Amino acid sequence: MSAPLPKRIIKETERLQSEPVPGISAQPHDDNARYFDVIVEGPGGSCYEGGVFQLELFLPDDYPMCPPRIRFLTRIYHPNIDRLGRICLDVLKNNWSPALQIRTILLSIQALLGAPNPEDPLNEAVAKQWKENQPEAIKTAREWTELYAKKK
Amino acid sequence: MKFGHEYETALANEGYPEQWVNSAIDYKHLKKCIKRVHRELESLGLDEHTLAAMNDLVAQPQTPKPTGIDPKDYFSASNPDLSPIQEEFTPQLKVLVDSKTGLALDARLAPETKASLQKLAKHEMVVEGRKKRLEQAKARQQQLQLPDTTDSVLDGSERKESLTPDVEDARWVYVPLASAQDFFEMLEPKLAELDALRDAETRNLEEKILDLGDLVEDVVQPVREGFEAKREISYRDLYFWREMFRLYLEKPIFYSEAEQKRGAITFDEARKNLENYDHTLRETGLLAKMKTPQAKAAAQQFLDLNLQILKVMHFQEMNARAMRKILKKFDKRTHLQGDQFAKNLIVKYPGIKSSKSGAGGFADSIGRDLQAEMGTKVLAIVPQLDDWICPVCCEMAWRPVNLGCCRAVLCIRCVIDLQSKNMKKCPMCNAETVMAANGKNLDMDTMEFLEIYFPMEVKKRQKENEKAQLARDYGEEFVKPGCTVM
Repeated sequence: MSAPLPKRIIKETERLQSEPVPGISAQPHDDNARYFDVIVEGPGGSCYEGGVFQLELFLPDDYPMCPPRIRFLTRIYHPNIDRLGRICLDVLKNNWSPALQIRTILLSIQALLGAPNPEDPLNEAVAKQWKENQPEAIKTAREWTELYAKKK
Repeated sequence: MKFGHEYETALANEGYPEQWVNSAIDYKHLKKCIKRVHRELESLGLDEHTLAAMNDLVAQPQTPKPTGIDPKDYFSASNPDLSPIQEEFTPQLKVLVDSKTGLALDARLAPETKASLQKLAKHEMVVEGRKKRLEQAKARQQQLQLPDTTDSVLDGSERKESLTPDVEDARWVYVPLASAQDFFEMLEPKLAELDALRDAETRNLEEKILDLGDLVEDVVQPVREGFEAKREISYRDLYFWREMFRLYLEKPIFYSEAEQKRGAITFDEARKNLENYDHTLRETGLLAKMKTPQAKAAAQQFLDLNLQILKVMHFQEMNARAMRKILKKFDKRTHLQGDQFAKNLIVKYPGIKSSKSGAGGFADSIGRDLQAEMGTKVLAIVPQLDDWICPVCCEMAWRPVNLGCCRAVLCIRCVIDLQSKNMKKCPMCNAETVMAANGKNLDMDTMEFLEIYFPMEVKKRQKENEKAQLARDYGEEFVKPGCTVM
């Protein structure tokens, strides 16, 4: 039997549902309240606009002493997200603070879509293209969004 | 038609004070007034189609304002704060009777309109004693369709006499509109009255809120140790009040602070919110549970005050609707640009500017201001648990620790956790203060405060802390319920 859910996780889940962040939703699994299905909409004005991206989020036992584990399930062309959907974002690693929450992390991810950072790449090929031929890279990102991240 | 009726009945039956009703917008008379304006315009030969056509022309680019109402006649756009609407304010139609550029317009006017305009023009010119110009004007009106060559000749002669250098070969005729003046004279002071009424009512309610604050404070203020209890108090009442206010804060009644739909709430919604709130209070029996009679009286007063705010809001919202409707009607019936007048009024009374979601008119600012007032003067007296939770575990910050780097207060258990995981940075401000924290960092003031206002939560947390301490010292097995063979 697993330990009872910490009050913090209960509170966060409640607030995510009662006061959702625009363009973001996170739904916990019925059988595991630490596992969330996440949907993040591509920010307006970015090359991911109009895209609906699915992610999975897991809160480890140590949470909030360690960051949640998050991964893109939808394919995305982004210099800081690799082919497995893993995300390179400082607050998910060294800069994690236990005062951060699921909602703030998801907002950071949405912001990362709006501001790709090829200087700190996770996906070398994409980052290279982004640096050498940005218009082409943005075009590809749009195509991928159209291809993989559209609502069916 | 329908709205007018609805408005009149609401004013008569909602039980508003007489003073309020007297300040209300006189929808019926204003409507009659519009009819008069309409008749007056028709008597000038300016039916709505003509005026609409003229207005269209004004809107066209490169047409140097041949006709229509110059907004400056109403109000000075350059310095709206000084005296937006002068004493001698008179709505006028300005019509350009002759000019090169006015040709197209003149050609479109109906013959009778032209005639009456010409008559007006003539009359004015005679009064001004400039018969020469009249002949000029006449001559040019007859040459409406003449080619450019003659125009240039005319230009030359016109320039010599031109009094207004910016409108070189044009001539304005002023058509005073007496009934339109009546309309605006009727509407504008009402707005001033409504504004004054809002001020007075807001002040009145703010005072009541202050009184209520004193009352609530008297009822819930816990007696500190060492002080003699001057009144009958019950610490249970404190919890009832807290729950009452928590529910109130959970769903704001008059003004939404939520991330997604921020802004004023319409009267209908606000009434529903208040009804729901009242319902919840009854259902949970919070009112009935209050121990002392003073507490009960204060709670009743709290609810009454909310009702009063709602009433003021409703009255103002209705008036805002009446004004919007009557101005729309004015525009529709007369094609004089009354909306310009409305825009100017908004500059003068920023309070009536309606937000997208809100109730409109002065109602918005009333809802916002009074709710804020209620929040700071009354609700703040009873501290809510949400304001005293540890940002790490989301439970009450007991025992409270301040790391000295920022104002954040964490609970001692979370600090110990952070230290044992070698997380050096303060969760709130990232300063490396965690490892240096010790018993001296306990925030004694906050601790005392929490003990007084949250006695039940403190006890609960105390127990949990002891348990956690035992688990740390002797292992998880030690604190598990039931017997264990070690």
